[in-house]
Amino acid sequence: MQSNAALEYDYSLAKKFTFLTILFGFLAMLVGTLIAAQMAFPELNYLIGEYGTFSRLRPIHTNTAVFGFTVSGIFATWFYVGQRVLKVSMAESKFLMVIGNIQFWIYFVGALLATISLLFGISSSKEYAQYQWPFDLVVVVIWVLWGVGMMGLIGIRREKALYISVWYYLACFLGIAMLYLFNNMAIPTYFATEGLGSIFHSVSFYAGTNDALVQWWYGHNAVAFGFTVPIVGMIYYFLPKESGQAIYSYKLSLLSFWGLMFVYLWAGSHHLLWSTVPDWMQTMGSAFSIVLILPSWGSAINMLLTMKGEWNQLTDNPLIKFMVLASTFYMLSTIEGPIQAIRSVNAIAHFTDWIPGHVHDGVLGWVVFMIMAAIFHMAPRMFKREIYSKKLMEAQFWLQTIAVVLYFTSMWIAGITQGMMWRAVDEYGNLMYSFIDTVTVLHPYYTIRTLSGVMYLLGFMMFAYNIYKTMTSGRQLTEEPQFRTPMA
Amino acid sequence: MFFHWLEKNPFFFAAAISIVISFAGLIEIVPNFAKAAKPLVGMEPRTVLELAGKNVYMKDNCQSCHSQMIRPFKSETDRYGDYSLSGEYAYDRPFLWGSKRTGPDLHRIGNYRSTDWHENHMLAPADIVPGSIMPAYKHQFTNIADIETAYAEAVTVKNAFHTPYGPEFKRTRAAWDAHRPKVLDDAKAIAADMKNKDVKEAVANGQVPEIVALIAYLNSLK
Amino acid sequence: MNALMIKALAFAAILMIATIWVVMSLDIDIVGDSVNAITMGGALAIAVITAAVSVKYINQMKTDTASGELAEESWDGIGEYKNELPSGWAYSFLAVFLWSMWYGFAGYPINTYSQIGEYNEEVLAYNTKFEVVHKDADNATLLEMGESIYLVQCSQCHGNAGDGLDGKAQDFTSRMSKEQVLEAINNGANTLGYPMGAMPAGMAKGADAEAIAVYVAGGMKGGQPAAFGACSSCHGLDGKGNGGMSPSLVEYDATLMKYTIQNGKKGSMGKMPAFKTLITPVQEKALTVYIQSLSN
Ligand code: HEC
Ligand code: HEC
Ligand code: HEC
Ligand code: HEM
Ligand code: HEM
Ligand SMILES: [Ca+2]
Ligand SMILES: [Ca+2]
Ligand SMILES: [Cu+2]
Repeated sequence: MQSNAALEYDYSLAKKFTFLTILFGFLAMLVGTLIAAQMAFPELNYLIGEYGTFSRLRPIHTNTAVFGFTVSGIFATWFYVGQRVLKVSMAESKFLMVIGNIQFWIYFVGALLATISLLFGISSSKEYAQYQWPFDLVVVVIWVLWGVGMMGLIGIRREKALYISVWYYLACFLGIAMLYLFNNMAIPTYFATEGLGSIFHSVSFYAGTNDALVQWWYGHNAVAFGFTVPIVGMIYYFLPKESGQAIYSYKLSLLSFWGLMFVYLWAGSHHLLWSTVPDWMQTMGSAFSIVLILPSWGSAINMLLTMKGEWNQLTDNPLIKFMVLASTFYMLSTIEGPIQAIRSVNAIAHFTDWIPGHVHDGVLGWVVFMIMAAIFHMAPRMFKREIYSKKLMEAQFWLQTIAVVLYFTSMWIAGITQGMMWRAVDEYGNLMYSFIDTVTVLHPYYTIRTLSGVMYLLGFMMFAYNIYKTMTSGRQLTEEPQFRTPMA
Repeated sequence: MFFHWLEKNPFFFAAAISIVISFAGLIEIVPNFAKAAKPLVGMEPRTVLELAGKNVYMKDNCQSCHSQMIRPFKSETDRYGDYSLSGEYAYDRPFLWGSKRTGPDLHRIGNYRSTDWHENHMLAPADIVPGSIMPAYKHQFTNIADIETAYAEAVTVKNAFHTPYGPEFKRTRAAWDAHRPKVLDDAKAIAADMKNKDVKEAVANGQVPEIVALIAYLNSLK
Repeated sequence: MNALMIKALAFAAILMIATIWVVMSLDIDIVGDSVNAITMGGALAIAVITAAVSVKYINQMKTDTASGELAEESWDGIGEYKNELPSGWAYSFLAVFLWSMWYGFAGYPINTYSQIGEYNEEVLAYNTKFEVVHKDADNATLLEMGESIYLVQCSQCHGNAGDGLDGKAQDFTSRMSKEQVLEAINNGANTLGYPMGAMPAGMAKGADAEAIAVYVAGGMKGGQPAAFGACSSCHGLDGKGNGGMSPSLVEYDATLMKYTIQNGKKGSMGKMPAFKTLITPVQEKALTVYIQSLSN
């Protein structure tokens, strides 16, 4: 059933954001690999003076990964998927095109400036919300523009019922809007005085324990509405589309979606276990984190079951491999997180490398894999060319899969080791290890993680190269492929 | 069925999402808000020099490796001192608990380290603690701390949140000019315990190198 | 069980064995500390459940076929089955939700649990367990204890070997350097709070002071310079501090250790902070024995 043969979709924005996804992805992973190396070999801290220290670079890594790479990926796929499942072309509305282009340019320039501001240490220091207030305002503008564009497109849609992916993009928009706004509320000190001091500096609306609560209500749900919700939205489109299979179960989609919406928000306090946050809030965060396994796994299972009977596709289409593995890593991180949220487990896991380990199961195995798969699927349709090399894609898949496994096994062991060493007492009841013992013992794991970073980065460069070659010298297509992505 | 209807009505769909995702925040954050905002009895807000040091801490992002949250475990109170209390953070904007302990907790570092130790350690951590992976912060010895911004911060939190700074803290430049010598005196007291010649000279000339402010802040963590 | 499942579980097993092996090689008690035990259990659950469940569904790609009634809608060619919920998933969801309600309201009741209460119990249990060990610890035990406390709390300043990191803190491998003694003679001393109070400046001068300093720094061996008489009135002829009235100049006496640990010391090298909040009386004894052992 070729239902939209008549429609010419406008992919110009999807293309632009795809380029940014690749650019920011490369930057984020390059810096990620560098900071991983600095933890193993601290001499690497002095490559570019004060701007090269681990602590200046770490927020650049996280923010470029989240607000550069992932958000570009969300925009790129939205400007592709949105039109198609709503059955309306962007080209039909001049207004939407203009809004979309303004969004793109503000985003591009804003993201670069914000990154530079972090390099100079202009930071409000709350994790994943480090941008100081002028950049926060830019984020708000971008988000509003995206919202207007999204609502506009939904407003002129031909397909009455919203497809599952649209639910998730909508939730991503609403969730981030609410969370970002509340968490970044701050007063610029320059304007609260007679123009004293730096114009960039601001103070948070909240203090101490309250600030922590707002921050992790945000932080946890930035993960939820940035690394989970829109990515689930992507897989709900790209996996059935690429495989030509129908979604396994509407009911499962429905319950997983609303379950996720309801439960996710409660779990934020699992970042504050054993802190000075009241015990009952910690307990709620802990308990709801366990509940969260199910709505998370619901989507993953729905996807795996959609591929029921399609073993041949799994073995001979690397794009399907990427997405099936992404679902699996999604399952891994969404059971690992809840178990780390158990109070006793958190007593060990919190503050250790097991947490970055958990983080990268999710981001490397799930977010990046899914976004790359989406781009691989979109590229032949956007550029009307066949994917340049299937072999390269296969090689990339295995290289990066091994890299993720190395990353998470090394950090898993490192984190558990460190957490247990901090607690260990000798036969006389005295602390067994000085702090520095617990640092030096991790050197081999930090080295392995560095290696995994290099491998993963290499894989990403293979991806970028493959896309570049596809754009420039892939075999031209005369007709848009319906399901499976053509590749040479 | 209700959900089929909802999926055809984007406005109500969006409204439903907003409602479902809002109330966890309301139930978990709002009820405790006033209580958690209370400082410990008799607690003083940070001095301007200490605030400037806190801003150096934020600028160089020390919280990416250091926590400031001693959890109530024997192993932590043995290593770092008493477990942390909510009221101790009541003036911290933002909170700086951190989420990773690549280095040790610093919430009570002022109790068991000293100015001269920090001076040596910040300059070359691995010389003091063999095997340390902490970067050396040499630039803090030459960069000048922004004490004016720290003063603006004190005034802002005083006016907006009633943080108990004295009556001399006013929005005007004149008030800042009047307060500045006090900050320099505090800086001199720190510099007196330091050995670095350039730092001592800068302080004598009325400038506050970042390291001086940072150490004032670290010493205040008790 | 098929090959894929075996591979996945084998991977989980290797990961767990590696983790446990590393931890055990560091002398960490996994079973005895309930937090460690629960964590290992949690880690095992993550590895095994993820491996087993994801492989179960992936296997269905091999063995099963898609079926069911399709919904009327289709989006961009994507259809949707009206299949029922997978029952395992649905019952688990229900069970976990009910469990969370039980956990919150009964099992770990949100209104009665207190983490500080739990801390107090932990400290109490600790004290009962180690009171016996600490009560009549002999010298060998104290020495061993002292070393590990030293490495955790003191080595950052005094160095792992106790050499004071090249003059940045007290060098424990000897009692005093010549410079330190001269410093005390020239400027007096008043930071330690001995019963005798302050030591006045200028008790000896010039060559006398020099001779005393060499003699004291040398561990008071060989012939005593006559000028030492100026010191012995307070520090005793043997330099041992006159029964605790002033510091011993030949060893790190218990009083000196107590004063420095409790109050810290600010001197020409720098400032040592007070450790009264971190060091217990037994630990203080142990540190004394250990530090005395360093200078011998
Ligand atoms: C790459 C991680 C890293 C960064 C960034 C970092 N540190 Fe550290 N820090 C460590 C490690 C590891 C140790 C333990 C070894 C040592 O004492 O050097 C440590 C120790 C310390 C100590 C001694 C604590 C103790 O109990 O002995 C202080 C104080 C300290 N750091 C302050 C800072 C400040 C201030 C900054 C920011 C300007 C900072 N650190 C940035 C890793 C880091
Ligand atoms: C009036 C009594 C008195 C006399 C005489 C005296 N001392 Fe002292 N000395 C003390 C006291 C009391 C202290 C501890 C001071 C403090 O609180 O730091 C001390 C401390 C010292 C210290 C520092 C010990 C340390 O570990 O910091 C040295 C070295 C020392 N005396 C050497 C001498 C020498 C050498 C002479 C003779 C030239 C001498 N003292 C004469 C009372 C005396
Ligand atoms: C922050 C650094 C620091 C730490 C940690 C530290 N010290 Fe010291 N300590 C010093 C310095 C500096 C001196 C020398 C002071 C001076 O005389 O200038 C010193 C001196 C001493 C002295 C000699 C006092 C005298 O007058 O002879 C003793 C004994 C001592 N420390 C014991 C300890 C013990 C035991 C610990 C651990 C519980 C410890 N120190 C931890 C910095 C430290
Ligand atoms: C080449 C691949 C990557 C490497 C080598 C890498 C390495 C690192 C390192 C070393 C850290 C700091 C950990 C610490 O402080 O202990 C980190 C943190 C982080 N990275 Fe990456 N990273 C990579 C890719 C990514 C990507 C693609 C994303 C997101 C899409 C990402 C998101 C994050 C986040 C959110 C954190 C913060 C974790 C926390 O605070 O617990 N990383 N990464
Ligand atoms: C069921 C879902 C999940 C739960 C319950 C969960 C739970 C947790 C817990 C308990 C922590 C550790 C907090 C600490 O002790 O410091 C954590 C950290 C983190 N998780 Fe998850 N997690 C889930 C899924 C995910 C996914 C899918 C991702 C990413 C794709 C992710 C990204 C992160 C990040 C970035 C952090 C680090 C936060 C920080 O900077 O401290 N989580 N999560
Ligand atoms: Ca911000
Ligand atoms: Ca973190
Ligand atoms: Cu979370």
